[in-house]
Amino acid sequence: MSSSVSHGTGEAHQKPLLGSMGVDSRKLGLWAFLGSETLFFVTLITTHLIFYARTKATLAAAGTLEHLDPRTHYLGIELTTVLATLLLASSLTMVLALAASKVKDWKKFRVWQMATILLGAAFVGGQVYEFIHLYHEGLKLAPQYVLEGETVKSLYGVTFFTMTGFHGLHVTIGIIWLIATYVKVAKFPDSPENPMDIELAGLYWHFVDLVWVAIFTLIYLI
Amino acid sequence: MAIAEQHVASAHTNSPDYEGFSWRSWLATVDHKKIGIIYIVVAFAFFVLGGIEAVLMRVQLGAANNTFLTADTYNQLFTMHATTMIFLVIMPMNVGIGNYIVPLMVGARDMAFPRLNALSIWLFIGGGLLLYLSFLTGGAPNAGWFAYAPLTQNQYSPGAAMDYWVLGLGLTGIASIAGGLNFIVTVLNMRAPGMTLNRLPLFVWMNLVVSFIIIFAFPTFTVASIQLLFDRQFGGAVFNPAQGGDALLWQHLFWFFGHPEVYILILPVMGMVSEILPTFSRKPIFGYSFVAYSGVAIGFLGFIVWAHHMFGTGMGPMANAFFSGASMVIAIPTGVKIFNWIATMWSGDLRLTTAMLYAIGFISMFIIGGISGITLASSPIDLQQTDSYYVVAHLHYVLFGGSILGLFAGGFYWFPKITGRMLDDKLGKIQFWLMMVSFNLTFFPMHIAGTEGMPRRIYTYEAGMGWEIWNQIETVGTFLLALSVLMFLYNAIKSIRSGERASNDPWDASTLEWMIPSPPPSYNFLHVPTVTSRRPLWDAKYPHAVGDEHGGHSKPSNVRYEYTDENTPGAKDIHMPTLTFSPMWLSGGLTIAALGFIYINKEILGLPEGIAALGFIAIGIVMVFVGIRAWIVDSRRDSPYMSSHH
Amino acid sequence: MAEHVAHDDHSVAHESHSTKFYWMIGGILAVVTALEVGIFLVESSFSATMFLVILLGLALIKGAGVIAFFMHLRGDAKIFQFVFLVPLLFAFSLCLGFLKLFSNHVGIAG
Repeated sequence: MSSSVSHGTGEAHQKPLLGSMGVDSRKLGLWAFLGSETLFFVTLITTHLIFYARTKATLAAAGTLEHLDPRTHYLGIELTTVLATLLLASSLTMVLALAASKVKDWKKFRVWQMATILLGAAFVGGQVYEFIHLYHEGLKLAPQYVLEGETVKSLYGVTFFTMTGFHGLHVTIGIIWLIATYVKVAKFPDSPENPMDIELAGLYWHFVDLVWVAIFTLIYLI
Repeated sequence: MAIAEQHVASAHTNSPDYEGFSWRSWLATVDHKKIGIIYIVVAFAFFVLGGIEAVLMRVQLGAANNTFLTADTYNQLFTMHATTMIFLVIMPMNVGIGNYIVPLMVGARDMAFPRLNALSIWLFIGGGLLLYLSFLTGGAPNAGWFAYAPLTQNQYSPGAAMDYWVLGLGLTGIASIAGGLNFIVTVLNMRAPGMTLNRLPLFVWMNLVVSFIIIFAFPTFTVASIQLLFDRQFGGAVFNPAQGGDALLWQHLFWFFGHPEVYILILPVMGMVSEILPTFSRKPIFGYSFVAYSGVAIGFLGFIVWAHHMFGTGMGPMANAFFSGASMVIAIPTGVKIFNWIATMWSGDLRLTTAMLYAIGFISMFIIGGISGITLASSPIDLQQTDSYYVVAHLHYVLFGGSILGLFAGGFYWFPKITGRMLDDKLGKIQFWLMMVSFNLTFFPMHIAGTEGMPRRIYTYEAGMGWEIWNQIETVGTFLLALSVLMFLYNAIKSIRSGERASNDPWDASTLEWMIPSPPPSYNFLHVPTVTSRRPLWDAKYPHAVGDEHGGHSKPSNVRYEYTDENTPGAKDIHMPTLTFSPMWLSGGLTIAALGFIYINKEILGLPEGIAALGFIAIGIVMVFVGIRAWIVDSRRDSPYMSSHH
Repeated sequence: MAEHVAHDDHSVAHESHSTKFYWMIGGILAVVTALEVGIFLVESSFSATMFLVILLGLALIKGAGVIAFFMHLRGDAKIFQFVFLVPLLFAFSLCLGFLKLFSNHVGIAG
């Protein structure tokens, strides 16, 4: 047995990168986490849809759906199209940053990664602007909203702000993650784990974009 | 290379972080075995607390018109009893034993993410402490463990109790999701060579299934409790019908999580029993694939039956029929498991150790709970039984008769591996029989009291309802049950101090954890084993036994007993992650921030509204960032990329 | 180390799309978004059901594009597809189930 000791101890270093499933452990963990996150966001979206449907039913019964529908009056298409485009563009720059890192083109990586960070920051800025705007228009984190001087009892605002607020929080965390990766790569450009670090931050970032794809259609358009 | 040399050098100074006790070696640990032990010890402490709450309630109910407890205290006690037993006892006990055993069973040296594992344990403890802090700050949560709306709204639950409940469980929820991810990656990606999914021990299989249930079920609860918190803190009213909210939405969201949660509590225990029965029957498990896949089936079906908790709300015939039918279908995979366990024992060479007795006790009591479960799955029958003591009887037969008895089985089975000492088997058997008798004394009469109309959650009742005799028996049973738990505690403490030393493999078992010393060295396996069947250790010990394609062959394998410790030649070269306090900083920060969030619009410490809260939140956030920074530094130091390239 | 080299091969094999390819995907997604907005602006020329189906379909295309190409799930290890797509399916079912339960048709929502 002692003869095989030296062989055996070497194994500690052999397997950390790809495990028994043939994949990187962190990447597997992140994908599973994103799977869990889909249920988080879908629950938020579903509760919003339930209360929006109820608000519409109440308004329709009272014959006031036309001029009191919260979605058509509060959620303008212009701003949200800008927001959706910003996130979509940031997904593109993110994947370009990753591609650059794979061929160790760190200069290009820095450009695309910084573009992603700035686009993300612009999105958060736009969302803050939207929230302030809606607040002044009478949509608040409260069980009623005020339109054209009329108070409508509805949970629309509560579920809207909770849902988009938590999405915004995820975007913010994503930005912090991207900055951390940017700094780390700048500090240790030779580190062999850089591409995987960037890939993980990117996966999270694309997921945040994916959530906005769903919110854009389900909440703003339909 | 510098880092590796440093590691070797520090290890040669007699490894202060493993040998001998030091606070640092525990508080900063990332070793899955130590984290497992912390889980087990803390969960047992909460088990005692939850038990005390139960005893107090049983004293109150022991006589009609009793005034031992006030109604409000009683409400706090039943809420905290259930919350404690579910979230702070059975779940973490499962996680603790899983943490210790799963990596050993798959032939790994640690969990996939050791630091995340440490984060889970400290977040769990932070959440548990936060929950119990409520007792000292104006009363514990008192709206029941499923916190039905609108009882949880500010006007019915003033004060901070429900906020403690939401945020305390929120922290343990993050811990659970992190733990679930860790188990998934460990089981899938950290297996030893040859340990295919088809050869995984059934305990590992069940932990894998449960981990998926956790990451699928918890987000819904997280969302519901965030919305509840916003209702309470910012006037949201999502669950307040008076302001346009919907109380039933809470029930649906809660039970969409809550029903899978009961499988989170029982499936790992079923896995433990599936390991213990073959070992003490001297036979392989009967129908391995059926036992494994029925666990998967239970996990899946668990997601489409949630509304059987809500038949009393009047969902209409369509929904009732669907959820009744789906619930009854679960009896099939559960029955498959039970028949496979019985077939495993059938004509086996049974050794009735305490662990085996508990496993058999588990099967018997779980069958009773399963049968009362079928009556509850039928919506017309359920309408007669809902919110009565019959439900209390049912849930204790599956959660105590099921989960807790199974956990005792697992406890007696793996105690030697974890502590290196044997539990006193004679005392264990006495304690087993005392527990079986007292358990049935306590919970069986609840079926009858419930059928005779005694509602659950009442703090007292009139004389002459025909319930007194059953309640008296239950109360006597509870005291005996408490006695048997104390006997186990005595047995455990005595055995840790002076119990018989355990060998590598005291039960002559078949799985990998028994090939290494009890307790194992920090790195577990000196040689990572190569697995050639489902029962690697039996194959090594009995190469000529008749077997099937999954075991019993004398295929070449390096599975054999290892007699190793921290000083074994070669052990120093095994690269293990180093101690770090970063998970503790992070979880401490989150706990303090959560405490602040509770008081965001309430007074505390005599300061004006919100000031202290903002202070706590600020301190918490700073601690979180300190933790994240330390985490990044430590993970870079320990990175496998770093050590293999420099 | 041998495994590390293998890992690089593995990554290259699955993620060797050219930057041109990413720009193309980005362009397609931009066009789909423009289509969505366009359809939204001329909502009245569709029946309610058509409007819903078209917009949901376009959102699915967009989402699938992000998942398959930007997140490289297409062609990546099967286990990643499993741990992401299974919960996604659960999430869809949750959404449809809850919308059904809380619709006026089933009527538990009162």
